[in-house]
Amino acid sequence: MKLAEWTERQTGETRRAVYSFAFIDEGAKREIRRKTLKAVAIPGYQVPFGSREMPVARGWGTGGIQLTLSLIGPDDILKIIDQGSDDSVNAVNIRKFVRSVTDVETTTETAAATLIQTRHRIPEEPMRDGQILVFQVPIPEPLRDVEPSEAETRRMHAEADYSRMWLHLYEDIVKYKEITIGSRYPLMVNDRHLMDPSPIPRWDCPKLHQSETLYLFGAGREKRIYAIPPWTEVEPLGFEDHPFRVENFEGKTCRFCGADNAFLDEMKDEETGETVYSCSDTAYCLKVLNEKGADS
Amino acid sequence: MNLPHPILEARGLTKRYGDGCPTCFDHTGAAHGRNRCPDCGTVWACRDVDLTIHPQEVLGVVGESGSGKSTVLKMLHYDLEADGGDMRVRAEGVEDSNLFDLTSFRKRQLRNAVMGIVYQHPHLGLRMNVSSGGNIAERLLMAGWRNVGDMRNRASELLERTEVPVERMDEAPRNFSGGMQQRVQIAKALSNRPALLLLDEVTTGLDVSVQARVLDLIRRLQEELHVATLVVSHDLGVIRMLTTRCMVMKNGQVVESGLTDQILEDPQHAYTQLLVSSALV
Ligand SMILES: Nc1ncnc2c1ncn2[C@@H]1O[C@H](COP(=O)(O)OP(=O)(O)O)[C@@H](O)[C@H]1O
Ligand SMILES: [Mg+2]
Ligand SMILES: [Zn+2]
Repeated sequence: MKLAEWTERQTGETRRAVYSFAFIDEGAKREIRRKTLKAVAIPGYQVPFGSREMPVARGWGTGGIQLTLSLIGPDDILKIIDQGSDDSVNAVNIRKFVRSVTDVETTTETAAATLIQTRHRIPEEPMRDGQILVFQVPIPEPLRDVEPSEAETRRMHAEADYSRMWLHLYEDIVKYKEITIGSRYPLMVNDRHLMDPSPIPRWDCPKLHQSETLYLFGAGREKRIYAIPPWTEVEPLGFEDHPFRVENFEGKTCRFCGADNAFLDEMKDEETGETVYSCSDTAYCLKVLNEKGADS
Repeated sequence: MNLPHPILEARGLTKRYGDGCPTCFDHTGAAHGRNRCPDCGTVWACRDVDLTIHPQEVLGVVGESGSGKSTVLKMLHYDLEADGGDMRVRAEGVEDSNLFDLTSFRKRQLRNAVMGIVYQHPHLGLRMNVSSGGNIAERLLMAGWRNVGDMRNRASELLERTEVPVERMDEAPRNFSGGMQQRVQIAKALSNRPALLLLDEVTTGLDVSVQARVLDLIRRLQEELHVATLVVSHDLGVIRMLTTRCMVMKNGQVVESGLTDQILEDPQHAYTQLLVSSALV
């Protein structure tokens, strides 16, 4: 059953009668919270957890949803982001689902939310103390592309032996004169664990460093939770002579709000065929537009 | 002779495949001409082998195929877990205790810091799909190097030393001839300036003319770098050319050891006499 259908079918009455608050049972929530605490205690370390069946196909954000459901309280204000957008089918469905099992208030404003679940982006607006950002993670293992064996990647983490990833970056530079990893950029957390930040663009990686906010990462299919607590050192891998770099949008601005300091999506203008740019974070774009409107 | 402290000292090196039984030693070893116990089927790949290498010294291990030479070398490099024995290495930062008792993490660190190895089969020592420079860089990265330019300089220097055309450093060894692959392996083994170099049948399987060139290279590197080296080979010619002292192995045991020249001129053990005479044919 699709998530949207499931949500439609549950009327207020049956929901209350059949499901506990936030859908998953209290025992399961407690387990996820315990694992989350462990993840917070060891920044960047992947903690295994007993991933539950959800009315969503695995790989569609079940890890993030379970984290959200185990953390959410009646007073939370929820925001759901899908690749920067609050309005994609996925974002709408997940928001409806969580609402239908919690009745919490939802918002699209980053600053108004207490709990944000996201896929592939971090909001442009700086997040604060007291907010939590939950990431949906498809592949939690940062070393998977360089080492297929789970036993071997575990050893590498245990011994902090990340030379294979460094070698991968070296080879990239030899072949292409630069590091070509666009998203899922490997990050060193707390000078100890290599971490996959989920497929966020490089643009978002610096936001994870010494942040006020708690970042939680949930992988449903791979049954892993990990975390970056507030004020943690987060360093993208890079060489002295080939340092980490974010995407370059120099000379480009959002066609709608004019922002020149946001991650931009590229598209073709349907009429002119020109390449144009717009904010990937639609809530940010709106905010900038509104502020401009208020100014003039 | 007044020798300095040995850089490597190993005692009682033992490796078996099987559980062993009370009568194993009545049937196996050089005196019995086999390493497999007929009662319990255990193979004693190497038994109670002692060896010592001094700074700047090149020690050889020779013997027929299956006599346990590679087993000895692989235990020293932690490729194989020893079933018995004690290993000490005297080098900076190395603990003064049995190095077989360390954690696997520490063993890996130690191996990266003080050893270099060249295997008979290049695919064991090299990542065939990673550039030659990258193969060398990997060891430098393990040691904490974080500057691409510095690593490339060091890799060029090593490839030049080992006579690999530097303009091919960004090519994967997969495309190289056997002799050139061995030279890349040697460059990689030397990249961390190892205290101990381990060479396992490095020229076996190469064409004779290529063999000679690789042997010349190793000899020249020995003269320049003076790295303490263990040379394992079934080929007496290789042992004669590279080593000053050697040990002869048979069925997992050492049957004779001493100065290479003396052993080749005047072998004492019947097995060595056989080896020497057949090598001369
Ligand atoms: N996995 C194994 N199981 C049983 N016997 C083995 C195994 N590996 C090696 N051996 C035996 O150990 C002996 C020593 O092998 P090795 O050290 O490779 O000899 P060498 O290098 O002198 O040719 C050989 O008789 C070999 O058959
Ligand atoms: Mg061998
Ligand atoms: Zn036996």
